[in-house]
Amino acid sequence: MQTVPIPQTGSLPLPGPVWLFTVLLVVSLTLHLAAMNSALGGGIWALWNYFRGRHAEHPNSRRLASELALMLPNFLAFTVTLGVAALLFVQVLFGNFFYTSSILIGVLWLAVIPLLIAAYYGFYYFSYTSEKGRGMSGFVLAISFCVLLGVAFVYVNNMALMQSPERWQAMYRAHPNGWNLNVGDRSVIPRYLHIVNGAIALFSAILAHFGMRKLKADLEYGRWIVQRSAMVFAACTGLQFLFGMWMLMAIPRHIAIVLLQDPLAVTVFGMALMSAVAAMLLILLGSFAEKNNAMVHAGFGMSLVTLFLMVCLRYLLRMIYLKPYANLGALAVSPQNGVIALFMVLFLGGLATVGYMLRLVARSGKTRISADGPN
Amino acid sequence: MNYPHWQLVIPGGLLIAFVAVLHVFVSHFAVGGGFFLAVTESIARRQKDAALIDYCRRHSKFFALLTLVFGTITGVGIWFTIGLVSPEATSTLIHIFVWAWAIEWVFFFVEISAAIIYVKTWESLPAHDHQVVGWIYVVASWMSLFVINGILTFMLTPGSWITTHNFWDGIFNPTFLPSLVTRTAVSVFLAGIFGYVSLPKSEGRDKVARWSALWIVAGALVLPLSLWWYFACIPQFSRLYFDRGFIGVRHAIRGGIGFTLMALVIALLCGLWKPRWMRRPPVGFLLVCGLGVIGAGEYLREFVRKPWVINQVLYANDLRPARIDALQSQGVSDTANFLLTPDTASSNYGENLFYLQCGKCHSVAGYRAMRWRVDGWDTEFAADILQHIHMLRGTMPPYPGNKGDRRSLGRCLASLNPSWQFTITDANRLAVGERVFGARCGHCHTVNGNFRPLRGAFENRTPSQVRAIFPALGEMSSNMPVFNAPDDQAQALAFYISHEAGKPMPFKQPPPEAPTSRSHSRFARPARPWQEVP
Ligand code: HEC
Ligand code: HEC
Repeated sequence: MQTVPIPQTGSLPLPGPVWLFTVLLVVSLTLHLAAMNSALGGGIWALWNYFRGRHAEHPNSRRLASELALMLPNFLAFTVTLGVAALLFVQVLFGNFFYTSSILIGVLWLAVIPLLIAAYYGFYYFSYTSEKGRGMSGFVLAISFCVLLGVAFVYVNNMALMQSPERWQAMYRAHPNGWNLNVGDRSVIPRYLHIVNGAIALFSAILAHFGMRKLKADLEYGRWIVQRSAMVFAACTGLQFLFGMWMLMAIPRHIAIVLLQDPLAVTVFGMALMSAVAAMLLILLGSFAEKNNAMVHAGFGMSLVTLFLMVCLRYLLRMIYLKPYANLGALAVSPQNGVIALFMVLFLGGLATVGYMLRLVARSGKTRISADGPN
Repeated sequence: MNYPHWQLVIPGGLLIAFVAVLHVFVSHFAVGGGFFLAVTESIARRQKDAALIDYCRRHSKFFALLTLVFGTITGVGIWFTIGLVSPEATSTLIHIFVWAWAIEWVFFFVEISAAIIYVKTWESLPAHDHQVVGWIYVVASWMSLFVINGILTFMLTPGSWITTHNFWDGIFNPTFLPSLVTRTAVSVFLAGIFGYVSLPKSEGRDKVARWSALWIVAGALVLPLSLWWYFACIPQFSRLYFDRGFIGVRHAIRGGIGFTLMALVIALLCGLWKPRWMRRPPVGFLLVCGLGVIGAGEYLREFVRKPWVINQVLYANDLRPARIDALQSQGVSDTANFLLTPDTASSNYGENLFYLQCGKCHSVAGYRAMRWRVDGWDTEFAADILQHIHMLRGTMPPYPGNKGDRRSLGRCLASLNPSWQFTITDANRLAVGERVFGARCGHCHTVNGNFRPLRGAFENRTPSQVRAIFPALGEMSSNMPVFNAPDDQAQALAFYISHEAGKPMPFKQPPPEAPTSRSHSRFARPARPWQEVP
């Protein structure tokens, strides 16, 4: 018997080339994280401003909270939708690792489903009631937000566990019923803080961008948003460096060494750090300039680039972790080219359809979809 | 045994069923309800019926809240659950159909976007544009059903995919069309039922009530026809389950028909005839009927696929046929990845085997309880019958382990009940015999029924003649366990069989359709001819 048991993937070939699945995984995960960051980061922004806005002297907070309220359910909708895509592709490439780690933390993993449903309805409740200032709505939002924090924690647990097969056997024997948590892994806590703090940072960049677009209609309100979000963005990005370092120190030494010696990983890492710094500078500087908003928009773009690079780095790190156990290059491949082509065509068609619907909405002019909840 | 087995209190299969039924209920409403909204809106606009438009607006809000949140996330829930309970099956399906899911995802993405836009733009979009968005939703949601339907039907009828391994052969398999029609009918049926949830209080009430009733009636009328078509296309072995006396199957069939009929009656009475009767209670009851229909349908769909999860590819215990062969020759302890104990002599090992090998479908004392199913088994008998476990009534995969494993598990099974001690008298002889029959023969035979009937062999024999045959049973068929019951039980059993087989037969039984020993040879797996689509 092997000392580290790794489930085999069976004899069926992959229905497409590994590089294609890798690209799709990285891209869909980036988009999923962007949406997730909006839901999580937007959640805390809404929460803070909702409570702050209850005082009459903070009308801007009140207004921002109610604008965010209408967006939050949609952020979650796209988090889930894009997450499904990432879930699909991770199963193609890393199914045997992913299923195993999910089973080991099975109870919590499955708990994600009812928790998400609750948080989602909580967001809707907030979006319907926040304006009327009903007593419960801030409280419900707070609960939803905490639930989402919990969901994120389960995810981090699973994603860390799936790349540590040497921890599996002992964990399974300890609790075969799935009542496990992967907190024995020292990197889990910094990883979690890294992603939650990153979510707040990224959403703040999105908000700065959003505020810039408000400037024209309402200078004072727009500037207020831009300046606040730029501050939060800068602070969180600063913190993010600390959490990142902590994480780097918490991952096993031999893996960190391989990572820092891998030219590709170092390049991606370096670029990610530089783009983070660039995003921070651009947004901070842009927020002080009264009118010029190109800098803030560029900073927002850079923060998305940072996110993408970080997802790439995360992928490379996973490959180092799994090096002794997985060899994607050795998988049998038998591409279903016709179906892949059909998918691509339909995908473009789908984007065009959504674009068409958004154009209908834009043409009607009266409402902007993102700023208007179901009513 | 490749993956760790998630050792739950309830069998994993039940968990999947629970999540799936809820999801299927809401997701079919998501398809039908969108269609309902689009059609209703265009009627309302054409007739300039403000009350009806207002109904559509309110209904669309309910629709979005239910389908976007609950429907979507329970769908993710199915992914999670099948990955936890049947990782091998999930991985297999992913390898075959990841692009189908990718395509489905595109439709899903369009569907979600359209739904969000649709509910939000009742005031802001021009009437025409708003309807266009509604119809985009309809097409996208039905197309996502179309694609998923291909994957789901593949699991029961992979058709020529088995030989060609061609994606399209898998999707457009023998039950693709009948199932698509059935699911569409169910969607229409549920759209009507859910239509009552937002029923207006006053103005337009009767109109909506009648209109929704029409949808229920339409769905309920197509349903029997499409199901009949569907059942004509399923494999022979699946159809046989309908008259094997499975209690669950019987309940599901009765329930499915009953709930459909009740919904139909309520729709006709309180919908079409007297709309003012359509108050909360009938609406609630309609929803229960809808859920009942889905539950019954899902139960049957899952049941008739047994012992497979993907017919001819993967057994329902998440093992490939080839893997079972390896397990039978080498044993579990040398091949399984995640065992709780390496000590094969311990009773923990037997328990571990129970969860590993039987726990996906059985619990100890709860759902599909093992306890009363193995009542009366001793270790010896259990270890023996386990090698024929796939012969019982055909629902179970071949035993995935070697002789030592069978003994360990056998000991565990025997320990679930106190061993039988009888004081047999003339008064209880028949009753005891019946119990012994249930434990030792009844899993594989009936006396007078149509499942491997024993009447032919034992008709007009005295108890002692019957008794004399028992020692030879093990040799009679390579699929029968050796007879080892204590003497008093053997006598009671002989008495019972002789008594039953001597009863006059009310009518001629159809020839037994049960698998014969030849087709059931353990060595001819997985080519089991009676499982082919005729
Ligand atoms: C794939 C799911 C599945 C697995 C795995 C499974 N069973 Fe079953 N079992 C069933 C079904 C379905 C039935 C029939 C339905 C019923 O009896 O309610 C059944 C029935 C039985 C019965 C009653 C037989 C009869 O028809 O009267 C026994 C005994 C039994 N199982 C034992 C076992 C043992 C022992 C194991 C483990 C080695 C096992 N089963 C594994 C699904 C399964
Ligand atoms: C594990 C399943 C199983 C069990 C338990 C079992 N049998 Fe059988 N039995 C079979 C199979 C399979 C055949 C062969 C049927 C065939 O070839 O058509 C068979 C055949 C027979 C036959 C020959 C029937 C004929 O018409 O040729 C007799 C008699 C018989 N069984 C009696 C019994 C009795 C009595 C018991 C209980 C003590 C019993 N069996 C328990 C599976 C079983």
